Amino acid sequence: MTREQWGGIVSNMISRGAKGSDEEFAEVVDYLAANLPPAKGATPTAQTKAPRPRSLIDEAGANDKQVVDEEAAARGKTVYIAQCITCHGTKARGGERGADLVRSLVVLHDRYGGTIGPFLAKGHPEGKSITLTQEQIVDLSHFLHQQVGNTLRTGPYNSVLNVLVGDPKEGKAFFDGPGKCSQCHSTSGDLAHIASKYDPPVLQLKVVFPQTAAFGRRSATNSRKPVTVTVTTPSGESATGVLDEIDDFNVSLQDDSGHYRSFQRGPGVKVERHDPYAAHVALLDEYTDKDIHDVVAYLETFK
Amino acid sequence: MKFLSTILLALLPLAPAPDAAPGSGLDPSSLSHPPIDSWPTYNGDYSGRRFSSLTKINDQNVKSLSLAWMYQLSGSGDSSGGRISATPLVVNGVMYFTVPDKVWAIDARTGRELWTYTWTSKGGIHLGNRGVGIAGNSLYFETPDCNLVSLNLNDGKKRWNQAICDLDQMYYASVAPVVIKNHIITGVSGDDLDRPGYLEARDPESGELQWHWSVVPKPGEPGSETWPNADAMEHGGGMTWLSPTYDPDLNLLFVGTGNPQPVIAAKGRVGANLFTESIVALDADTGKLVWYFQPSPHDTHDWDAIQTPVLFDGEIDGKKRKLVAQASRNGWFFVLDRETGKNYVSSQFVKTNWAKGVDAKGQPIPNPAKEPQIAGALLSPNQGGAANWMPPTFSPATGLFYINATRAFSIYYIFDTDDKPEGWGGNDQGGWSESMLQALDYHTGKVRWTHKWETPGIRGGLLSTAGNLVFAGDPSSNFIALNATNGEPLWHANLGKSVTNGAISYELDDRQYVVVGAGDKMFAFVMNQ
Repeated sequence: MTREQWGGIVSNMISRGAKGSDEEFAEVVDYLAANLPPAKGATPTAQTKAPRPRSLIDEAGANDKQVVDEEAAARGKTVYIAQCITCHGTKARGGERGADLVRSLVVLHDRYGGTIGPFLAKGHPEGKSITLTQEQIVDLSHFLHQQVGNTLRTGPYNSVLNVLVGDPKEGKAFFDGPGKCSQCHSTSGDLAHIASKYDPPVLQLKVVFPQTAAFGRRSATNSRKPVTVTVTTPSGESATGVLDEIDDFNVSLQDDSGHYRSFQRGPGVKVERHDPYAAHVALLDEYTDKDIHDVVAYLETFK
Repeated sequence: MKFLSTILLALLPLAPAPDAAPGSGLDPSSLSHPPIDSWPTYNGDYSGRRFSSLTKINDQNVKSLSLAWMYQLSGSGDSSGGRISATPLVVNGVMYFTVPDKVWAIDARTGRELWTYTWTSKGGIHLGNRGVGIAGNSLYFETPDCNLVSLNLNDGKKRWNQAICDLDQMYYASVAPVVIKNHIITGVSGDDLDRPGYLEARDPESGELQWHWSVVPKPGEPGSETWPNADAMEHGGGMTWLSPTYDPDLNLLFVGTGNPQPVIAAKGRVGANLFTESIVALDADTGKLVWYFQPSPHDTHDWDAIQTPVLFDGEIDGKKRKLVAQASRNGWFFVLDRETGKNYVSSQFVKTNWAKGVDAKGQPIPNPAKEPQIAGALLSPNQGGAANWMPPTFSPATGLFYINATRAFSIYYIFDTDDKPEGWGGNDQGGWSESMLQALDYHTGKVRWTHKWETPGIRGGLLSTAGNLVFAGDPSSNFIALNATNGEPLWHANLGKSVTNGAISYELDDRQYVVVGAGDKMFAFVMNQ
């Protein structure tokens, strides 16, 4: 997947409780983008050919499933275009004239043409059967298995297409009005040139979920503000700093001088949290989707 | 005499099955009223309540609960396989549990390992395994590479294995099988390549198929009117990810079914997509559908309705009713009549933003504007859902249904604009969430009390007991006992990793154990005397 796609996934993980610093998450995204780039052959541009470590979705299917040879798949594509595309469609998903080959059991059970070859040899399509060499059958097999892989969640179709559907004028009205964005932000200050820092889909995530890291065009220059906490003990001792961990029983923080402080919670121990993104959280119940798209369209004007 | 007959009645369920050797084995007929020294099914009994009648550990003394033993998985392999998401079974003083491809038998009193069994895998997703089923002297579990495997209970030697799904179609198997009379009930998993889900009954001695219920109908069958065509049905999804519950008196199985497929991009499956996203009642001997209720008609958010359908008897409108309740992944809580499927309660247990109301049957009506959009639609809950596979609990002592809930937002996108999208065709991104333990009044669905956790994250499932306790995990790796009546935390221990299964309880030698899994460790707690 692309850096942007991995950024989205890591953002999801953060929102579901994954713990780490911005720098650590950025490192993770850099690592994933470098080592798990978009599926080979997914786009016309050349991709780095790095080996893909196994991920959960890669585990789907049998251990002996076909390993797609991209060059063979490219050759197989020409066979497909010449012989199959008319009935089975550009994505091999079939149509009125031909079966869906991505979902075909003949294809799914195939290994390197071992099932596809005999199937074609029996005479397919009926009355007008095609004749392929063994090499062409293997190439076609690679192409079809590539199409199956492209259908999975790790495939090349899995990226945001276009979020710029809003009205910049109405976005400005929301920004200055009911969204109350302008109470904390300025398009000539902290948001100056915001559109050149983030691709539109990332900008949208950044607007709605700034508390979970979103990843810019370059390596993370993220400035996620930390949640801070003030703990006051019954004796009146007080400590303020960046929240480290908190549960029903304990709270810990790092104070301004870098010291780690940890407290047991209980009667008389006062804990005050300050979430710098509280206003964004409150908006989640207020926003319409149009508001979000409008604000993104507005911010996109600040290149 | 009355005393004697009471004792005899109490002992009756302990009688060994005809084919079980003395001191071992499990008679399936005892599963309707499991003895207190056991936890003989995934949910402890057939009801799915995960309620223990034991009271030695209670709200008055739980402060002194302490560790009896801890067992760390031996040779559990990689990280995905090393997480205990199985609920252990306890039979005759021995505990049995799994991670994908591996089964353990350990002494339930000491945590001492008795035997392990490792399956040589041919593939499949090794995300988690929910555990084993036991009948007589046999144990049953599913493997990621689509096998139902039977082991000898005493020594872990393999009896047989039987294929229950097709790896090439990207199914895998993770469900804890349930033993009902002479049926082993199995379900299937897999969400990647548009396959139909199903539930099956298999023979305990051979694994041969007894019946097969397809979640999606064939053309002309009831429910087919909710699909546009045969092709969409044939690839309609609806996985059976979790063990069903069972009412022996009605002889009905209660099954929650998974999301339709393609998962997100739904252009090719216009309609309600029955019987995906449904709570269904099936005849346990034939697999025939008796009734259904659909929590998420035409789901487009991966909110499978597989959460345990919990069975209990209660009073609705002044009348005694046999009920089934589910806190569903879509954020709604449902109480139904389990004889008929009639809806009594539909309410949100966390605030959601995707439904326009409920229809005449009590089913939420999805708002089309909140289907995933090319430019993104802000949804609550997110894909992880307001609830997930982690077990809830119902306490007949308090009359409350407990759920470790999540309130979450994310943006759902359509990625694949093809007229015939396949696979997922979209996903959600970004997010914010908060988590809380909710106690729901089943009469109204109203939240009686909430205990909000300080952070979001993994928390595992729940157990309630007659000692007025609810045992829960929090997102900070604590295992916590709360007062079941008011939600006050009474005891906790930090396990180093978050709870990853549902806790169980059993009594051996007059001592009550509470056992929970966290990551690759199993912890047993007792009252030290």
